[in-house]
Amino acid sequence: MSVALDLNMSATKLKILVIDESRQRAGEICAGLALAGHQVLAVLANTDDLAGQVAQIRPDVILIDTESPSRDTLEHLATMERDMPRPVVIFAQASDPATIRRAIGAGVAAYVVDGLEPGRLEPVIDVAIARFESHQALKQELAEATQKLSDRKLIDRAKGLLMKTRGLDEEAAYAALRRLAMDRGQPLSAAAKDVIAVAKLLL
Amino acid sequence: MDGKEFSTDRGRRDFMRKSMRLGSAALAGISGLAPGGGAWAAGSDAPEKKEVRIGFIPLTDCASVVMAAVNRFDEKYGIKIIATKEASWASVRDKLVNGELDAAHVLYGLIYGVQLGIGGPKKDMAVLMGLNHNGQAITLSNQLRDKGATDGASLARLVAKKEREYTFAQTFPTGTHAMWLYYWLAANGIDPMKDVKSITVPPPQMVANMRVGNMDGFCVGEPWGNRAIIDKIGFTAVTSQEIWTDHPEKVLGTTADFAQKHPNTARAMIAAILDAGRWIDASLANKQKTAETIAQKAYVNTDTEVIVARMLGRYENGLGKSWDDKNHMKFYNDGAVNFPYLSDGMWFLTQHRRWGLLKEDPDYAGVARKVNRIDLYQQGAAAAGVALPKSELRAARLIDGSVWDGRDPKKYAAGFKIKA
Repeated sequence: MSVALDLNMSATKLKILVIDESRQRAGEICAGLALAGHQVLAVLANTDDLAGQVAQIRPDVILIDTESPSRDTLEHLATMERDMPRPVVIFAQASDPATIRRAIGAGVAAYVVDGLEPGRLEPVIDVAIARFESHQALKQELAEATQKLSDRKLIDRAKGLLMKTRGLDEEAAYAALRRLAMDRGQPLSAAAKDVIAVAKLLL
Repeated sequence: MDGKEFSTDRGRRDFMRKSMRLGSAALAGISGLAPGGGAWAAGSDAPEKKEVRIGFIPLTDCASVVMAAVNRFDEKYGIKIIATKEASWASVRDKLVNGELDAAHVLYGLIYGVQLGIGGPKKDMAVLMGLNHNGQAITLSNQLRDKGATDGASLARLVAKKEREYTFAQTFPTGTHAMWLYYWLAANGIDPMKDVKSITVPPPQMVANMRVGNMDGFCVGEPWGNRAIIDKIGFTAVTSQEIWTDHPEKVLGTTADFAQKHPNTARAMIAAILDAGRWIDASLANKQKTAETIAQKAYVNTDTEVIVARMLGRYENGLGKSWDDKNHMKFYNDGAVNFPYLSDGMWFLTQHRRWGLLKEDPDYAGVARKVNRIDLYQQGAAAAGVALPKSELRAARLIDGSVWDGRDPKKYAAGFKIKA
């Protein structure tokens, strides 16, 4: 990074509004954008009177979750008022299709004021995509961890049932459960679920 | 069609000529002879894509798409419909355009807005069929009632006093609700662009927004109008069927690209949803069952009673008046609901032009003929054994007394006293 480039960037800093109900993710986006030399004007979690806020803040770019219902409010501004932000993530001319697909896949939509050069927007969208993706990866990990935890609980319960009803010790109960899963081509947790269901019916 | 059908000689000739080209399948439909189910399930007619993702917004009129999947009408035509709940119309549009959704339950006007690139991306789109007529409403807040505004005329008097700014919400700038709202306000002498402020709010959030005083009125699809009454927040000032009896509303929309690459899948979707609409309209019990199904969290997520009353036509306006509305929401009505009339598509263009969303007159008939896939609809209707109307145009008299018959859209669009 040359000094000249940095100066150039700060001279053309983009004013960005981030709308995100997830505080943590919004924080990550802000940090990323600041590192890239942009200015985050505001982060809105609550979108009451979004139109009024946008008119007051006058951002160059708005970043928002593609699944946010508030996007329809932004569409209104894009359609009804000329110098208001317009949707860009799917503008073919604003960015290459691969970026667009990645953006939507990651869950980020961007709205920019008409006339902004696509080249200036790309780094902003890149930052947002990266932050959204890392947030999504975290969520995925959390979901998997929760799933694993509940799988283990199921297996423990099934093991307990087998020990009680068939007088097995823990190791033998686990082996029986694993054999059942293998015979039926099921994951261990599914076999455990079946054992519990049958036990509920019979006991 | 009950004699409401408007037949122009030209429309009729074109229609017959096209029908002839389509051959026996379409003719079987016209004469009302249904070929057996699963007509497209074999040979070269097999759907190119068997699993189709159809997006929907939580509204009563998503019912035929949902019931086509729940009641497995889709299987009969060799496809599996995966109904996908969406958070906003903007999201529906983006996912249609980038292919994440194959098709969607979508506002008629939105499809035309994208076709012409109004306020957003421009892409060639396709309307495969109409999903419903009627069943939307304009709600005014109880605060307005207390100020004496209970209908269009009294609202106009209140607005004219200019005591403060009044805000009205609709669901999407190019969509149907914006057009019903603007049309009704203008019919009552209120200029929707100058005399009041208009905002966009997603359907499921209308009632909550009115509760906190963000707007004085809104236009939205049921069940949200009825929900406002039950929650004692507002009342129904006018139903959409009073603005235009049997008006077009939601359509099954997709991209021109998808329709071109998957004509068999498109036909199968049309046939399955025709079956579902016919089933819903067939009996009170079916409507009750439909309401129970779509009330679930995965779909509209509200109480069955809130949905079912107006589905059955049992209206109560929140001001003490109740009536049986024979023009309640319809999903089939012997196929009259579903035929993609060119005049219906053109009407939205005339209103986009009227309110300045289009700066110039488009090629009304050319655009409508390109977007509304009458060819695919005819074939889907034939598979489902649904009769076709005799014209591609239909006529109606709207609430302000003006007649729309699709014959001179440019003149019609320019002929309104109040316009942008």
